[in-house]
Parts: sequence; C-alpha cells; structure tokens
Amino acid sequence: MSTPNEYRFQVNLSGMIQILSNHLYSSPKVFLRELMQNATDAITARKEVEPGYQGEARIELTGTGDQLTMMVEDNGVGLTEADIHEFLAMIGQSSKRGQQALLDGETSFIGRFGIGLLSCFMVSHEIVMLTQSVKGGPSMEWRGKPDGTYTIRQLDTQLSPGTKVYLRCTPEAAHYFEAEYVKEALFYYGALLPYPVTLIHDGVQSVVNQDSPIWLTRPELARSCRAEVLAFGERLLGEKFQDFIPLTTASGRTGGIAYVLPHAVNLNAKRSHRVYLKRMLISEKAENILPEWAFFVKCLIWTDELQPTASREHFYENEKLEEVRSELGDALRLGLTEMAEQQTERLQKLIRLHALSMKALAVQDQQFYAMIHRWLPFETTRGHRELGELIDEGETLYYTGSIDEYRQIHHVASAQSMLVVNAGYIYDKELMAMLPVIMNNVETERIEPDEVSMTFTDVAPAERNQYYDALRLADSALQRFRCRAEVKGFKPADLPVLFTLSQESSTLRALEKASEESTDLFSSVLGSLSSGINSAGYSTLYLNVNNPIIKRVLTSPDNQMTPIAIEMLYVNALMMGHYAMNKQELEVLNQGIVRFIDWGLRANTNHEGDA
Amino acid sequence: MKTGMDFEDLMEEAYQLPNGAAKLGLLEEAARVADINGMVEEAYEARSEIVDAATFCGYPMKALIAFSWQLGKFDQQPELYDEETLLWSYKWILGKMPDFPEISREKIMELLEDFGARFKSYGYSERSYWYYRFRIFMDFGEMEEAGRSYDKFRMLDRDFMSDCEACEQDEILRYFMLKGDDEKVLEVAKPILKGRMSCAEIPHLTLSEVLMPLYRLGRKDEADKHQVKGYRLIKGENDFVQSFSEQMEYLTLTNPAKGIDILEETLVLAADHEDAYAKMMYYAKAASLLRRWTEEKDSEGYRLRLPASFPYEGEPGDLLKLADYFEEYARATAAKFDQRNGNTHVSSLIA
Repeated sequence: MSTPNEYRFQVNLSGMIQILSNHLYSSPKVFLRELMQNATDAITARKEVEPGYQGEARIELTGTGDQLTMMVEDNGVGLTEADIHEFLAMIGQSSKRGQQALLDGETSFIGRFGIGLLSCFMVSHEIVMLTQSVKGGPSMEWRGKPDGTYTIRQLDTQLSPGTKVYLRCTPEAAHYFEAEYVKEALFYYGALLPYPVTLIHDGVQSVVNQDSPIWLTRPELARSCRAEVLAFGERLLGEKFQDFIPLTTASGRTGGIAYVLPHAVNLNAKRSHRVYLKRMLISEKAENILPEWAFFVKCLIWTDELQPTASREHFYENEKLEEVRSELGDALRLGLTEMAEQQTERLQKLIRLHALSMKALAVQDQQFYAMIHRWLPFETTRGHRELGELIDEGETLYYTGSIDEYRQIHHVASAQSMLVVNAGYIYDKELMAMLPVIMNNVETERIEPDEVSMTFTDVAPAERNQYYDALRLADSALQRFRCRAEVKGFKPADLPVLFTLSQESSTLRALEKASEESTDLFSSVLGSLSSGINSAGYSTLYLNVNNPIIKRVLTSPDNQMTPIAIEMLYVNALMMGHYAMNKQELEVLNQGIVRFIDWGLRANTNHEGDA
Repeated sequence: MKTGMDFEDLMEEAYQLPNGAAKLGLLEEAARVADINGMVEEAYEARSEIVDAATFCGYPMKALIAFSWQLGKFDQQPELYDEETLLWSYKWILGKMPDFPEISREKIMELLEDFGARFKSYGYSERSYWYYRFRIFMDFGEMEEAGRSYDKFRMLDRDFMSDCEACEQDEILRYFMLKGDDEKVLEVAKPILKGRMSCAEIPHLTLSEVLMPLYRLGRKDEADKHQVKGYRLIKGENDFVQSFSEQMEYLTLTNPAKGIDILEETLVLAADHEDAYAKMMYYAKAASLLRRWTEEKDSEGYRLRLPASFPYEGEPGDLLKLADYFEEYARATAAKFDQRNGNTHVSSLIA
C-alpha cells in the first residue's frame, strides 16, 4: 500500500508543475495568493474548533540575491504527519486523473492545500514547510523539490501550532519577492481578510490590511459611511468614484458595493468586477457575476456560497451563480429605483454618464423604463433632448428606424419644425415603440423617409396641370433609375429637390452596386433576390415648387433641356444625400457637366455674335 | 449629426457598438463614404465588418450584398486582401443561402461548388465543403443526401477553417431533430448542456432546441430549467429569432401566459428580420401560441402589444384574427420554400 503513492508522486510531479503553471494559473504571481489561501483555510479550520480564536498571518522577507527567502507563517490548525501524507497522495491522484480532475476542482481542504503549495514551485526550487498540528504529535518538516524528491522528518523541538512555509526564490522570480511588490500583492489579495496580515522586512513590521470595515458584512450600513466607502473603493479599485449602490442577496451570503463608474463606458468593454470568496480575492476579472446590463458599475463583491474553479480564479457557471447573479441584479435595480423616487438629481447625473446602460435595462424592464424615462437622452430634430422635455411638448413623437433614414429626412423635417427622434441608435427604436405602453398619454409613431412628404404642401390640381409636360419629361428621364418625380412645396425654399428612398429601394440600390462589382455567380444570385423587390423599389425625387429654379424648369418644358436638368438634379440630390452612385449615374454626371459647359459657352458666343 | 463624419470616425464609432442595426448603419455609411471617395481598400474593410455584424444580428441580405462586393474586388486583386478572412465569411454566407426562398436550388448548388473549389485551391480541408453540403441538404429536406454528407465530413480531419466543434455539434443535433429521433438529439446535446462545448452561439441555440424533445420524452422539469436559462441568454438578441419560436412552441404547451410575454418582447425583432426562414418559423409558432392563449381565462379582453412598426392594420384585441395573420404569412413563405425545394419539407415543419 505504501509504495504506489510514492511512485505516482515522483513520476508525475514535474508534469504537474507544468500543468499548474501553463494551464491552471494565469501567472506565477498567484503563488502568494495560494499561500494566503492556505493560511486562511487553516485559520478558519482552527476557529471551528476554538470559537473566538484570533488568527494571524506573518510574511517575512530575508536575505538578498540567491539567498532571498520568503517565509509565510500562520497560526492555524497545522498538519499532522498523516495529513502531509494525505495531501501528497491526493496530488498523486489528481495527477493520475490528469488535468481535468484538477480543473473540476473537486478536492478537499487537504487536497487544495497541496495543490496550493505546489504552485510555489513556479517561483522557488525548494519548498520547506514546518508544521505543528493542534491535534498534537511531533512537529514535522517537509522539504520538496520540483524534480519530485522530498523528505519528511520529525523535528526535535516542539513548535507552537501552525504552519511556516519557506521559499527561496529563483532568479527569474526575484521580482515577486521584492518587499514593495509583496506588500501590494498582500493587500490586493487579502484586503478583506478578517485577521491581521503582517509583513516583516529589514526589521520593520507593518500590518498590511486595516481592520475590515463593518459595512463589508452589512452593506446596508454603507450609506451612512459614504466617504469611507468611496475611499476604500479608490484604494482597492484604483478609481475615484462619486457614487455607489450597496448590494445584498436574500441569504446574506453574498454582498458588495457597486461603484458607479465615474466615466462613460464602451458597451463592449469587459465588465470586470472584483470578487472575494470567503474574504480572499478570487478574481478581479469576474464577468459573469452580474447581469450583462450592469456595465456602468465596478463592483466589489464578497461571497461564501459560490464554488471556485481549481485555479481559484473564477467561479463555476452553475445554477447557484445564476441565482446570485439575478439577485445582485435585483439589488442594483432596487438601488436605482430608490434613487428615482428620492434623489432624482443623483439619478440624472448617473444617466448622463451611462445612458446606454440605462437604456439597455429599460428595454428589458418596463417598470424601470417608466421610472426613469424622463431623463433618457435622445437625438432629435430639435437637438439633444431628454425624453421628459420631448413629452412635455405634447406632440406625437415621430421616430426613424435607422440612422440612415434620419439622415435622409432631418433637413426637411427640421426646416418644417417637425419633431423627429433619431431612433437609429441602439435600443432607441425599441424604447420609442414601447413608450405609449408605459405612458398612457404619449403617442409615438415610426416614420419612413418617404412619409415626410406628407408634410409637404400639395400643389393644387390646376397648378399641377400646368407642369404636366415637364413632369412627363422628368418621369421618363428618371425611369431608368427606377425613380419618379413629384411636385410639392416644402421648406427650405433653397432646397431644389429632395430624394427619398423606401427601405426596399434602399436595399435594391445596395444590391445593384454590389452586383456591378461581384463575380458572375454572385451577381446572378443577387439578381434573383432583386427580382423579389423590384415592384416596390421606386424612389421619389421631390421637386420643390417654392424654389425659383425648379419653378423655371417646370414652367418651360423643353424636350432637350428638361430631361438633362432633371437628371442633373437627380444626381445632385444623390450627392447631397451621400449616396454612392452607380456607373450609370456617374455617367450622367460627367456628360451633364460637359453638356452644360458646352451650352454655356455657346450661349456666350451667340450673345457676342448678337452684339 | 453623422453627415460630416469621415471614414475613420465612422469606423471608430461603429467598433464601439455591439452588433445591431445601429452598428450596421454606421458601417454602411462608412462604406458609402469610402465608395464616394474611391477608397477601395477602406470600402473593403468596412464591408468585412458589415458581413460580420449583419450575419450575427439578423441581416443576412445585407451580409450577402457586402460579401458579393468583396468577392468581386478580391478576384480582381487577390494580393491586396486576406483570403482567410474572406473565405471564413464565405461559410456564413453559404450557410444562409437556403434561407432565401428566391434563390434557386441550382444556384445554391453552384455556390457550394464555387465554395468548395475556392477552399481546395487554398489547400484547406475538404471537410468544410462536406459539412456545408450536409447543412444545405438538411435545409432542402433531402435527408438521405444530408446523411451521406454527414458520414463523409465526419471521416475527414478538422482544420483551422472548420467551424467550431460546438457549432458542428449543434448542426448534428439538428440532423437528428429533423429525423425525429428525440433520444439521439439529447445524446448529441449532452456535451453542450454539460458545458463541455460552447461558443458565442452555443449553448444559446441548443437550450431552446432541446425543449420539445425533452417534453415529448416526459422530462418537463429539465426542459423548464433549460427554457429559463436559454431565454436569458438570447433575450433581446436579433440573432436568435428561430430560438424564440422554439421557446414559444414549448410554452404553448406548458405555459401560454409566459409564451405571450416572450411573443410581445421579441416580435419587434422578428418582424424586422431579413431571414425569411427564421421569420416564417416565428410567425407559425406565434399563431399556434395565440390560438392556445385564447383558451385561457386571462386572455379575455387581452390586447396583444404590437410594436409601433408592425404592419398589422387590424384590432390587436382580436387574437384569433391576429393568429390568422401570422399563419397566413408563415404559410405563404413556406409555399415559396416548397416551390424552390421541390418538396413539402418546409411546409410540413410548420403544419
């Protein structure tokens, strides 16, 4: 029974270290966290047998160069000889079952202890552990090397209960042993630990973590120590926050502080929160612990109910995590609700910074939308306005479905002081569509670019009749562009024509453009698609009778002149609307310009001739 | 306003947005600016982004148009562009082709061969060709041919141009679903549901797909869990219109009130969708859901909340009429697919 364990251990240790450093941990620096975690586990275990026991961890740095040594000491339960054999055996087993067993993290306290200890081989060629169990027995020394050899012996002297681990640093890892670095790292991992962590270097002792604040365990108290909470957040998360929302779950086993980010964030930004498990930092990149829409906060979260992965750097995505996530989301939402009811100014400030986040949430949650709708910003033909102001105008809120459509009509719409919201930005369309549902007295209506024409003034039939010939010429000139002309009066008067495109004809334009450039096979595929759209795909060129030039074009139809003028107005409208032109249209432009120059010159010569 | 922005500004702003209509709007604008100014390489870059974004947020037509343009440019000057990126997007484009009923079976087969030839010419594994052949024949409802391609692609080695394992597994799952083998569907789904295989779209798709098989096998408790989790993953995402239809189908049988919630929340996404197949499925399931809902007491006097842009003129309180509207739309689309495929495969899926 005794030899096989030893055999497995010796054969596989170097492989294990390979796995640890390459696959399990994100960086060698985590050895310090692993040692802290072992110390914490040992102290927790001792507290279970001796309630009220005051734990402590001490880290001492001695020597320089290749004598540089780190000692990590705790006064926890310590290990008996049997415990030591157990963790070595456990490691052997884990390695036999391969990496997957490790990643599944199904290991006991002792097993985790061993894996944690092994992580030290990433920075040290020798690990020495002195330990004395509270259960009694002799004090033990364990010495391990990365090649898999190790010795265990009983010490002559009796140590007080607890464990000391000595590491002599490898040249490559020297920077992990610098006092400044160690101090920062200890704070980073252990800022929330409920017992003192002391660093000793050059004869100077300093406690790395201050007393852990009371609001850590009872976030509801955080509000009354605002300044302290903000200062703590700045030290730990490195940003100057101005606001926060306390978080708790029903069980009280997970809680935290959601700090409102003091700057706007990109929607695609990694949402990274700092999470402590049983008071030890487990991750500073936890993305999955809050709902997706919570990208306007950076959270400090502690929990004792989630299961860490073997590397102790992430959590398992399981049902428990899902439950915690949705509860934390509810807490955040509640915080916002309270703000909307009691501190609207605070909320307004928050919305100004994080409008997108708020809109994302409002789309999912109508009640929330109803609560905060007044302060959501929108781009409109009357400038950037908050929704509340827009509603107060008491008009129907017209909105476009895309930025593209808005671009096509906003000149005309604003010239006519028509209120149109650009709902092409993310979430805006949905929000505008939902608005009447949450607010009884508000009407919204989606507007298509070609509908803006409805607000044009019609031209009386008698007058239209005068233009009959000119329009007929215009239509036949525009037919090959699948466009038709229409006469309307609209503002501004210096805008001669307006080109509008329905959704279908817009697709069709893009399709033709691509077709011109593509391979034969793809052109024919696009061709079969366009056949389905053709019938609906007519665009409209509105001729503005209020414009003097248009008036002249309309009143003096000429078989030669009118078609060319109309074509030129058409390509001009395309350019004004930033549409890419196809080959045919570019040709019109080129020929048109040349012809106009020609006429201009000829008219000039004729004129001179007359004189 | 965005009228005066130059190419770089537009692209930068687009990069900051998640996939969606807003991002596409900016990218299309960027492509237009590049076109107008004769910036061919920039225009190509913008279209690469359009293909990517449009493929994953419900605009396969926009993706196809941009891709066609790219391919033409690429063939003129292949040395200017990266063939890997382009041919990787070809897979997305090809995979969506059968969802357009206007594109004939012959054309799709021609595209498949063009795709295969291009992959071969760059020395990529033939596996992608067979895998896509497998998918296309499933779309046509020709299960025997699909089966032959299935056997074939699984014999070949994966390479860096292969779809990810999770996506492939999900297509295999679809194969057994079409064959009506629920037990096998769940067996195939296992590594996905256990979390051993995942990607940007998996398990999102799978969680909704397994609902009906689980229900038929009497495993409703499991199905309920997957339903909740699945919906959380896909909520508000344009890319998952077909998954919404699967959710509604399941809830029609188990919890119509919840189904109505989902219908109201997602209709705005479905109504705007360019993928005719996904939209058809959605409309068909919405119709059955509405009919089932009218049998519930709570449905009395209930008016379905329709998005402002929804082109339905009737009374939103007349649920049966609304159901007819949805069904008619679905049937008309199915008829087009049937005509293209030369069988009744698609209409039998919504019967």
